[in-house]
Amino acid sequence: MSPKVQTDTSRTDSAVSIRGVTKTFTQWQRDNTGRGLLKNLLKPEKRVVTALDNVSFEIKKGEFVAYAGPNGAGKSTTMKLLSGMLLPASGGISVLGMSPHRQRRAVMQKLGVLFGNRTELWWDHPVIQSFAWKKVVWDIPDALYRENLAMVTELLDIGGLLKTFARELSLGQRMRADLAMLLLHSPALILLDEPTLGLDVVAKRQMIGFLKQLNERAGTTIVVTSHDMDDLEEMARRILLVSGGKIAFDGGFAALRNELGCTKRAAVNFHDGTHREIDYQDTRSLLRELSAMDGVADVSFTQTSLEEGLANLFAKWKNQRP
Amino acid sequence: MADRITLGRVLRLLAISAKMDLLWLLRDTRYALLGIGGDIVSNVATVSGVFLIASRFGGIGGMNAGEVLFMMAYSTMATGLFILFGSGNNIHISRIIGRGQLEHLFIQPLPLGVQLATCGFMPFTGGGNLIMGIVLMAAAVRRMGLQVTFLWFFSLLAYLLATLTVIVARSYLVSSMAFYAPAAAEEISSTAIDGTWFMSTFPLSGMPAFIQIPLLTVLPEGLMAWFPSLCLLGRPPLNLTAYYPMVFALIISLIASAIFRKGLTHYVTKGSNRYLPHGFRR
Repeated sequence: MSPKVQTDTSRTDSAVSIRGVTKTFTQWQRDNTGRGLLKNLLKPEKRVVTALDNVSFEIKKGEFVAYAGPNGAGKSTTMKLLSGMLLPASGGISVLGMSPHRQRRAVMQKLGVLFGNRTELWWDHPVIQSFAWKKVVWDIPDALYRENLAMVTELLDIGGLLKTFARELSLGQRMRADLAMLLLHSPALILLDEPTLGLDVVAKRQMIGFLKQLNERAGTTIVVTSHDMDDLEEMARRILLVSGGKIAFDGGFAALRNELGCTKRAAVNFHDGTHREIDYQDTRSLLRELSAMDGVADVSFTQTSLEEGLANLFAKWKNQRP
Repeated sequence: MADRITLGRVLRLLAISAKMDLLWLLRDTRYALLGIGGDIVSNVATVSGVFLIASRFGGIGGMNAGEVLFMMAYSTMATGLFILFGSGNNIHISRIIGRGQLEHLFIQPLPLGVQLATCGFMPFTGGGNLIMGIVLMAAAVRRMGLQVTFLWFFSLLAYLLATLTVIVARSYLVSSMAFYAPAAAEEISSTAIDGTWFMSTFPLSGMPAFIQIPLLTVLPEGLMAWFPSLCLLGRPPLNLTAYYPMVFALIISLIASAIFRKGLTHYVTKGSNRYLPHGFRR
């Protein structure tokens, strides 16, 4: 695989820089009582929701970052801010050294955005026609288009889909075709919002494998959101955990496991039919303990899933929220 | 990957829209032809109804049958141009705004204006009315024995451009409401544009000034065909200047542009939580 990543003219090695960004939304409120209806006519009740609260982080070029958090944490808002679809209430955003709002066109030449719940494919046309449309709109040179088309066709296994009308694709096929279309202009940075949403196991494996390859071999910076922690852990090397509009954790997955107190557990079965479970952190001390035991028939190892630890953490955050 | 928007780039964008239109037509040609045929029949019926009444009674409201036919031809050409360039919800912009679909446009490396001006170009499925209008115009010119000079032809194009500008500006003006009330105003542009067509083929010459003036200002239906046609025939109504349609088009487009930009700022500031996946791409 050798996709030509466009030369990034910015001097910085930062792919994404968010400095003190706050984003608020207004929500209309109304109860279903007569008084509530009358009050709504005279003075509608509104609630200000802080989607992002003075958030700062930086992502360097070539990183593969997971952006996770519970529902309503501000993940999609961040994606929209980075792709110039929304303006922050305050703070600064830089994408590949440019402002996504003021330099939208230049940013879009180097950025690829994919939202799992929407498609950029033309609904009533074959996939290849959407690709041809993108070539013209993004003004992709012929050679680069041909090279990238061959690359995505092979690696995403979409050769059989190119002549199929988008409306007739399954969800997994549609996601692969959308991802392929996203890559045709060789974006230096890719933002993926829930790309594995609704995909079956096989389609998910294909998607994850491809994204890892893209990041490792082509050096494409990837920021991905998902609710599936196992997917994120397999893909990314760094995780930004957002909750209540704030960055609650920024680091590697191993550090997150420690932070969450995810335990490793050894299940020991004895010849006499008894069973014992040992929680441990240090493997060496566990081995010492096991070697001191008599009548061990079998040992199996498990660890608390990240998902379980995070579910507990999210529930705790939810209860703490005013 | 050039960043400049050149004429060549715009032509390539129009060409890809035309190609997509042709391929769409060829995918289900039978239904597409039925649709095009239905449009033409409907337009011809509207035109012929008024024209036959004018023929039977020797004119309507101070316009003879030839002038009525000329006005009908102008109206059909204006409709044809609208369908030719505006068949992709790009003029019915309240649909895109109301459905939260502007985000599809934001991620393209093109100015919004260029995207909107080129993405609705559909010469194969949308060209029928324009062709019909040209045929009617030729018949009207022949019937009235008009001298078609280069200057007159240029004037016709300028008036058609002004009429189209008024339609687009009016649509964008009312569609700006969809920035603030996306669900309620999603279809407001169709109401505005359909309203435009209702009165566009009605000769207003016999009407009193207190009806004509509002129809040239507040609700500019008179600029859809009646006023420009009489200007092209050398007698602008109400002692107004023949340039009035261009002046009005300029003013309304400036107002629409300012209000639309304000709405756009509101959209990117407040966001839209009303994304509907249908209707952006056909």
